[in-house]
Amino acid sequence: MNKIQRNLVAFAIFVVPALALYITFYLVPLFNSLQYSVTEWNGINEPVYTGLDNFQKAMGDEKFWVAFWNNIYFVLFSVFIQVPVIVVVSIMISSVRRMLDFYKLTVFLPSILSTASVGVIWQFIYAPDAGLLNQLLRSVGLESWAKIWLGDKTTAMFSILITNGWQWTGFYIVLVLAAIFSIPKEMLEAGEIDGAVGWKKAWLLTIPLIRPVIVVTMLLSITGAMKAMDIVMIMTNGGPFHSTEVMATYMYKQAYSLSDFGYANAIAIIITIFTAILALVYHVINKRTEVDY
Amino acid sequence: MKQSRSINFVSHIILVFYALLVIYPLFFVISSSFKNNSEIFDDPWGMPMSFSFDNYIEAMSNSHIDSYFINSLYISSISTFATILLSTTIAYAVTRMKFHTLSKGVYSLLLLSLLIPPASLLIPLYKMINDFGIYDTPLALIIPYSAFGIPLTVFVIAAFLKSIPLELEEAGVMDGLNTYGLLFRIVIPLTLPTLVTVFILNFIGNWNEFVMANLFISNEASRTLPVAVKSFVDQYNMNYGALTAAITISIIPVILIYSFLQKKIIEGVTAGSVKG
Repeated sequence: MNKIQRNLVAFAIFVVPALALYITFYLVPLFNSLQYSVTEWNGINEPVYTGLDNFQKAMGDEKFWVAFWNNIYFVLFSVFIQVPVIVVVSIMISSVRRMLDFYKLTVFLPSILSTASVGVIWQFIYAPDAGLLNQLLRSVGLESWAKIWLGDKTTAMFSILITNGWQWTGFYIVLVLAAIFSIPKEMLEAGEIDGAVGWKKAWLLTIPLIRPVIVVTMLLSITGAMKAMDIVMIMTNGGPFHSTEVMATYMYKQAYSLSDFGYANAIAIIITIFTAILALVYHVINKRTEVDY
Repeated sequence: MKQSRSINFVSHIILVFYALLVIYPLFFVISSSFKNNSEIFDDPWGMPMSFSFDNYIEAMSNSHIDSYFINSLYISSISTFATILLSTTIAYAVTRMKFHTLSKGVYSLLLLSLLIPPASLLIPLYKMINDFGIYDTPLALIIPYSAFGIPLTVFVIAAFLKSIPLELEEAGVMDGLNTYGLLFRIVIPLTLPTLVTVFILNFIGNWNEFVMANLFISNEASRTLPVAVKSFVDQYNMNYGALTAAITISIIPVILIYSFLQKKIIEGVTAGSVKG
């Protein structure tokens, strides 16, 4: 056995193709990005080394900061609104006996649709005149609340966050549900005998027991929030007046609309650093607050 | 007992409301696709007065939606197959073969991917695709999709392989199998259910991918479905009837596949995220 599994040629045949592809598409671009981020480059001429100029430019660029804060809103929305909804709805679904499968399948459905379809469908909902949302508000007498949801600087970002929530909440609910159903029955029954029922049971028993999956959900939704650029490109393309720009769409525009590839790569590096910091901070906080049961 | 029954009732009300929130927008798109435009504007909430397929005829005749569908199918299937094949071999090598230090190194290298958001790699990737001379060809998507699926797929398969006992492979060795034989005759058949779930997971991701598909393909004929859906908005502008018909055509296959494979899909998602 050991001899057969110590075949270096076979190991290389199995590992090298996948690893080469992975390195070519993850690590090499990252390295290239680092190189270009310290240059002035229009994508055609030779790049000219300019040191940290591009990073300084970002620090003083108002539009970059709008994009940065929109990424933060994405993260905050995920952590403080989406995750609590996910946990509460999962516990509800797990506790009802009838229609459990129906709820589970329905809430999951939006997450298998493409972001393009979801974005376009929600454009109908937010449309100023024929849009479902304004029609609904008008029909219940809240006409003054009707807005051009995606065309108004004050509501556009929030409207996108709601759509993103609509698409992904069910995905995480299914994850959390799987964890709830994997809790040993005896544990919950023992708790019930001790008087933990209803929400008391959820708070004292279920939530602590599914803590690991809540941690995963948070981490996935934080990194998911950093990835979300397709939904912005589809729904508003960063508008109106850059109010819904996220760092990735701003980077995209610097490169493909303005041909400022040096600056665009600097933004790419900032995105990577920011994501890594978020992941690490989250990891540390999570370690600190860990409790043994 | 009474208290828990009333909680149950409240739960049902909230869950039904949530389910409506999910279903209604989809119902709206599908029902609008059978209406004419004035009906959509006058009565967006209602059922269509007369089922008319005019919008579908219009959408099919000038949108080439069938060819985008085939492009998406072709690109997603090939890249998913490539991801699964490459990930299975690497997962087998690092969990089953006896090169522990090397394996650990490979695995940590793959873990690094969790810290790198693919969006931040777009610009150098675009240049690379151009340098390889594959810009605007199906390969411009097939190769990156295959690559980006690898890390998570390896994590899921490796997690599964760690859970199956070595005895069967030992028996295989007795029967004279070498390391390739063990992989193809014993490990892959055992892992098949897991492979199916990661296949579905990767396929859905590739099928829905928008940003690279939009950037690496520029000619209309090679477009994938998500990019096409986005372009319909400009193409049909206020012609909601044709637009909703086009969107319905693009989401119906996904919903159909979902209704047949829901168990597998949900299983795949759970495996991918809990173990990954």
